[in-house]
Amino acid sequence: MAPAAPKSGDVLFASVDRVNAELFTLTYGAIVRQLITDLEDVEEVNKQLDQMGYNIGVRLVDEFLAKSSVSRCVDFRETADVIAKVGFKMFLGVTASVTNWDAEGTTCSLILEDNPLVDFVELPDTCQGLHYCNILSGVVRGALEMVSMKTEVTWLRDMLRGDDVFELQVKLLKQVPEEYPYKDDE
Amino acid sequence: MIVCVAVVGHQNNPLYIQSFTKGDDSLLRISILNVEGCSYHSLKRHHIVHCSLDVVDERVNNPKKSGLIINETFLGLLNPTENYKVYGYLTNTKVKFILVTTDLEVRDVDARVFFGRFHTAYVDAVSNPFHIPGKKITSRKFAERVSTIVKSFGLSSGG
Repeated sequence: MAPAAPKSGDVLFASVDRVNAELFTLTYGAIVRQLITDLEDVEEVNKQLDQMGYNIGVRLVDEFLAKSSVSRCVDFRETADVIAKVGFKMFLGVTASVTNWDAEGTTCSLILEDNPLVDFVELPDTCQGLHYCNILSGVVRGALEMVSMKTEVTWLRDMLRGDDVFELQVKLLKQVPEEYPYKDDE
Repeated sequence: MIVCVAVVGHQNNPLYIQSFTKGDDSLLRISILNVEGCSYHSLKRHHIVHCSLDVVDERVNNPKKSGLIINETFLGLLNPTENYKVYGYLTNTKVKFILVTTDLEVRDVDARVFFGRFHTAYVDAVSNPFHIPGKKITSRKFAERVSTIVKSFGLSSGG
């Protein structure tokens, strides 16, 4: 039997269970506020959000691959495209665009014009160093690590700080081949 | 000509007051706690808003006497004093919106439309996770939206 053709992001988004967008936004806002109240240091909050995102990403990638049936990506370019068009669409309901490829093809930028996490949010003056959407960078990093790619994900532009879009830079550090826990000759 | 809009909390604490004076085009933002910094005009507006709160309370507590349905959000013309008209709007969380205008030909439906938009802007401002309910609204976006709504109100009722 021929394998199923990879589904497009829109089809996947329509087929998964959905939750009310405002509930999602308000829940995330409450999490960030609670973290700020508990930790008080903006850098620490950024790190915690990244760690939370990492934990989500390592679990999310399995669901993504199970539901979307995309084939193995040939190179990092294809990986970035799949994340932007299929992954973001399936889980957040928005598509990202991929730009700013560097010469070697290991670094690119994902541009998000619309982000459901930041509806209604305005950063107060006391939290200017906060990367409000840092959970997304953790998710991307965690997901790629589970498919043997070590990456570094950083925010270049942030709409909450006055820029016009969200720009997430994904840098491929190295491809880690799968290690077998047992040596063959033993 | 809208003179002033105000948002008052359920304990009659002011959450947001913004004045739009006729003379200069800039918007005066009043600090409620800084009484020394207030000019005569802004104190007068505080006074008007405060008086209208009494009328609101009266309408809320005695709905049968004034003939108003209990679930009515738009309270209508509260107080035609001197050359001002004051309109009120009550949300279900007992937050009140007060509109003070010097325009004597304002129609009821214009005020309703205004409050509808104002309510939407208020809900968006309050949904900000960094806004503390019960404290003043410090959102710049809210202030911009309110001034846009006020400007469009002036245009629609002028024609």
